[in-house]
Amino acid sequence: MFHWLEKNPFFFSVGVFIVIAFAGLIEILPNFAEASRPVQGLKPYTVLELAGKEVYKKDNCMSCHSQMIRPFKSETDRYGQYSLSGEYAYDRPFLWGSKRTGPDLHRVGNYRTTDWHETHMFEPTAVVPSSIMPAYKHHFTNIADIETAYAEAFTVKAVFNTPYDVEGGVKLGTWEEAQKMALAEAKLITADMKNKNVKDAVESGKIPEIVALIAYLNRLK
Amino acid sequence: MNGLMIKALSFAVVLILATFYVVNSMNIDLSDPINMITMIGAIAIAVITAGVSVKYINQMKSDTADGKLAEENWDGIGEYLNELPSGWAFSFLGTMIWGVWYWFIGYPLNAFSQIGQYNEEVLAYNKKFEATYKNPSVSVLKEMGESIFLVKCAPCHGTTGDGLSGKAQDFTTRMSKAQILDIIANGSNQLSYPMGAMPAGMVSGDDANVIATWIASGMKGEKPVAFTACASCHGEDGKGMAGMAPNLAEYDDTIIIKTLEHGKKGKLGTMPSFKTMLTPVQAKSLSAYIKTLK
Repeated sequence: MFHWLEKNPFFFSVGVFIVIAFAGLIEILPNFAEASRPVQGLKPYTVLELAGKEVYKKDNCMSCHSQMIRPFKSETDRYGQYSLSGEYAYDRPFLWGSKRTGPDLHRVGNYRTTDWHETHMFEPTAVVPSSIMPAYKHHFTNIADIETAYAEAFTVKAVFNTPYDVEGGVKLGTWEEAQKMALAEAKLITADMKNKNVKDAVESGKIPEIVALIAYLNRLK
Repeated sequence: MNGLMIKALSFAVVLILATFYVVNSMNIDLSDPINMITMIGAIAIAVITAGVSVKYINQMKSDTADGKLAEENWDGIGEYLNELPSGWAFSFLGTMIWGVWYWFIGYPLNAFSQIGQYNEEVLAYNKKFEATYKNPSVSVLKEMGESIFLVKCAPCHGTTGDGLSGKAQDFTTRMSKAQILDIIANGSNQLSYPMGAMPAGMVSGDDANVIATWIASGMKGEKPVAFTACASCHGEDGKGMAGMAPNLAEYDDTIIIKTLEHGKKGKLGTMPSFKTMLTPVQAKSLSAYIKTLK
C-alpha cells in the first residue's frame, strides 16, 4: 500500500514531518495557550512603570537579579508565592534573568518600600553593609524617558491588544494625558522620598529615573 | 547434530566453566538468589549464543532465497513481499491500546507535577514545624527570632536592630523625641488596637515637648502633668493597659505582632506588612528577639 512512499524519499520526509509536527502541536499548544493567559486581576504597566522598566533594562539589572520565584520552600519562604507564567503576560520582554548575584525581585514590592529603595539605590552599603551592588547615583539626576515608555504602551495596545483604556483598568489616553498621569503618579512616590533634588525635579515637571524605577519596583508584587 | 554444533557447544561449556572458576575465586555466594539468577543468565547467554549462531551459519551454507519480489528494486537489489509477522502486528496493536490508555488515564492521573511536589513538601514541613514548635521555650523563640530578623528585618533595621541611623525603627530604644512629636501632631491609627484611632493634636506646644522628652528618655524621673492626656488610653504607666493601646514604655508582643501584621507608615518611612510571610510562631519569635535588643 505504501510502497510508493519508499520510492519517493521527499514525500516520505514530508510524511514523517507531518506526524511529528502533529504530535508536537497537540502536546505543546494547549498548555502554551493556557499558561500564557494573564492571571486574573493582572493590569498592564502604567507609563511611569514602563519608564522604570526601561531603566531596569538599560542598567542591566537582570544580569544580577532574577524575576522568577521557583516552587521550592526555601524560595517561597524568602520571596513569597512562586511565580506563575500568567503573571508575565504583559512583560514584553519578560525579565526573568538567569543569574542571582542579588536576590530575586519578582515580589520585591511586597517587602521593600519607596524610602528603602531610595537609600539603597543611592548607596547600597548604607542599608546592607555587605552588599556588592554598585551605587546607581545617576538615577537621581538622569531624566526618565517617558516618551519612549508611552510609545511602548501605545504599540503593545495597538499591536498585541494589551488592555489599556478599559474600564477599571490602566488608562493610557493621549500623549498629553499620559504625561500628566505619569507626573501625578511620580508625585505620589516623591511624597515618600527624601532627596531634595528629586522632589524639586518632579515639582518642575521632570521625572528622574529613580522615581520611575521605584514605581516599577513597587509594582512587582 | 553436526561437528560445528558440537564444537560450538563445547566452547560454551568452556565459557561456563571459566565463569564458574572466576565466580569461585571471587568468593561469590551462589546461594544468594540474585547471584544465582545472574549465573543462570550467564549460562543461558553462552548456550543460546552458540546454538543460534551455529544454526544460522549452517542455514547460510545451504539456504537459497525464494518468494515473490516487490515491484521496486534499487540497482538490482529487490525486496520480498512478506506477510506482516503476527507478533509484530499484535505488538503494534498493543502499543495503540496502551497509547489510548496513556493519553486518557495514564498521563493525566500519574503525571509528575512540580507544584504538587511543592505542595506536599510545604504541607509536610508545616506539619513538622507545628509539631516541633508547639510550645517553644523562650530561648528557642529568641534563637528563631534572631535568624528571621537577620534575613527579613536587617535590610532596613540593620543587623544590630539599631535602625541604621534613622532609616527604620531603632529597637535599642523605644521611640525618639522626634517620632513622638510627629505622632502627637499627626495622630495614629494603623495597628487596629481596641482603643481605636489616636486623634491628631491631643496636646501641643510645651506640653507635647515635655511629654516627648519624658517618654524618649525612658520615662524616668517625674511624670509630667500633661501625660494625663495620654494616660486615658495608654495607661497611667504608659504600658498600654494590657494591649488596649500601644505600649509606650517598651516593646511588647502586641505591638510587634500588630506591626508585622499591618505594616506601618511613620516619620522614618514605610514598613510593609509581613502578614503573609510569617507564621504566628515566627512573629512571636521575632517579638521575643526584639525585646532582647535594648
